[in-house]
Amino acid sequence: MTHVSLQELTKVYPGSVEPSLDQLSLEIASGELTALLGPSGCGKTTTMKMIAGLLAPTSGDVTFDGRSVLKDKPEDRGVVMVFQNYLLFPYMTVAANIGFGLKMRKINQTEIDQRVSEMLDLVKLPDLGSRRPSELSGGQQQRVALARALIVQPNVLLLDEPLSNLDAHLRFEMRDLIRNLQQDMGITTIFVTHDQEEAVVLADKIALILDGRLKQYDVSSAFYSRPIDKATALFFGGQNFIEGQVETGVFNSVLGKMQLPAGCNNGAGILTIRPENIRIGQSPDGLNTVTASLSDKIYMGTQTRLLCQVGDSLLEVIANPNDVQEYEVGQNISLHFPRNALWVLPS
Amino acid sequence: MSDRLKITLLLFPALSIIIVLFFGGLLVGLMRSFNYMPVIGLTEPDLSAYIAVFTDKEFYLSFLLTFHIAFTSTVISCILAVGAALLLRRRFIGRAIVNFLFQLNLTVPHLVGAIGILYLFSQSGSFARLAAQWEMIASPSDFPALVFDPYAIGIILQYVWKEVPFIGVIVLANMQSIGEDYESVSRTLGASRWQSFRHVLLPLIFPGMLSASVMVFAFTFGAYEIPALLGANFPAALPVLAYRKYTDVDLAARPEAMAMAIVIALLSAVLIYLYVRFSRRKAGR
Repeated sequence: MTHVSLQELTKVYPGSVEPSLDQLSLEIASGELTALLGPSGCGKTTTMKMIAGLLAPTSGDVTFDGRSVLKDKPEDRGVVMVFQNYLLFPYMTVAANIGFGLKMRKINQTEIDQRVSEMLDLVKLPDLGSRRPSELSGGQQQRVALARALIVQPNVLLLDEPLSNLDAHLRFEMRDLIRNLQQDMGITTIFVTHDQEEAVVLADKIALILDGRLKQYDVSSAFYSRPIDKATALFFGGQNFIEGQVETGVFNSVLGKMQLPAGCNNGAGILTIRPENIRIGQSPDGLNTVTASLSDKIYMGTQTRLLCQVGDSLLEVIANPNDVQEYEVGQNISLHFPRNALWVLPS
Repeated sequence: MSDRLKITLLLFPALSIIIVLFFGGLLVGLMRSFNYMPVIGLTEPDLSAYIAVFTDKEFYLSFLLTFHIAFTSTVISCILAVGAALLLRRRFIGRAIVNFLFQLNLTVPHLVGAIGILYLFSQSGSFARLAAQWEMIASPSDFPALVFDPYAIGIILQYVWKEVPFIGVIVLANMQSIGEDYESVSRTLGASRWQSFRHVLLPLIFPGMLSASVMVFAFTFGAYEIPALLGANFPAALPVLAYRKYTDVDLAARPEAMAMAIVIALLSAVLIYLYVRFSRRKAGR
């Protein structure tokens, strides 16, 4: 169990002026599962490689349990990285791949064989030890890569896009496997992903990195209910943004007066609410309710997407198909904005 | 016209040259090695030329020397080429120029290289004169015999100079296509830099290295001009020995020369087969 601390970690690649990663600071508690989330090229993999010792930072520090590891070689850090494309050694059997780390530590072959066998059982591939990686499916290769990493009992486990190469069915299976193994073994785990859904379902906490800078580091629900700015809200699928002014807990805008939850500062701001949090119909007390014109209605199987016009603002609403069956395009519709689902972003 | 016929017709000119010159030459050589040479009245095929070759002690000495030249040149070239490729795949200022210089002698003919070796390393060459001038040795003739020497050092030097960039270019391209991620994985799994090279990179580049070194081995085993220019008179490399027999004033020596040429071809094929088998087994460990 290792506490990982990144302190103003910065990386500027040779020949580049702009930093790929700009003063990233994170505190990752022992045994926590953290996601580094962001679009391609935002600096996630660079961060992982600096934690693993495969890249030297331009400035800043990486500490494990308070001790700087910048001078430690990759093999001495106790950090194992599982790459997105698994990178199993193609000329070795599955068993030899899994036992590789132990062999490098000069553990005797009898013990290696025994621990490899245990690992194969753990990742539910007990009979595949003698196969070559090319004879395995993508999901099986992912399990072998995970077993190869876990067998050396790392202090920190790094996973690069662990679910992105798997189909939908395998993603669920693998997600559960990673989550269970991580919790059982208590290894501090950091994974990178560009998929916010993957981050939400897997991670205890998410660090959103945009353009090389940390935007927000929080539990996953906060990114939906309390995004730090519009870019963060947009990354998590936020659609509704209305400009206005906050005055003592009330937001004045094209929607009229909206009662806000506690903690919203006075001044100009952008009101946001997730499409699935807007209710159809009046609120019991009549507050936070507006009348909109239904401009489009799209049936999506388990839900219906409504586009509603209020003044010059277009709002997106996700509703249960049964609740909006009677509404037709062009008709007026009452929308209720629950107070606790509202949030004001800086303008 | 079907595609297959079209392809056959298009390939015919090139194939006909290969068939006539290579297989035709081989067939004539084979017939002559069995003492069948009607031009000089030999019309009864027999094995006397092969018997003469295999009972000649010089043949065995030549074979050992030729094997030593080919094996040593290939191994040294391979080691240096892999080392050079490891350096050249790194990013550093001036890499493009170093890369260009590394590959430059690929375009220089072997003969030019051999003359360079003579000028530099023979007992009348530049290094011998410099050593004498700086009083490291009493006279140029005291310089160690690196050319026309029984250990074929001059020949090996020339082959290494020429073949290092050849193998290096192939290995470097191989390394660049593999990338560095496999090594990164192994480092995080606890492998040191050396272990990572030994257990991960080397097996990955091995097929490319093997192909290149087989070509070098086959070439150096069968090449004539460098041993002829830089080698000792006795024992001579097998191709030199065969050429001497072939150009003998006595035409009756030709079947023996042809038998020797056929034996060289067969030995090359067998040695390459064994080399590939042995190397694959090593790689598979």
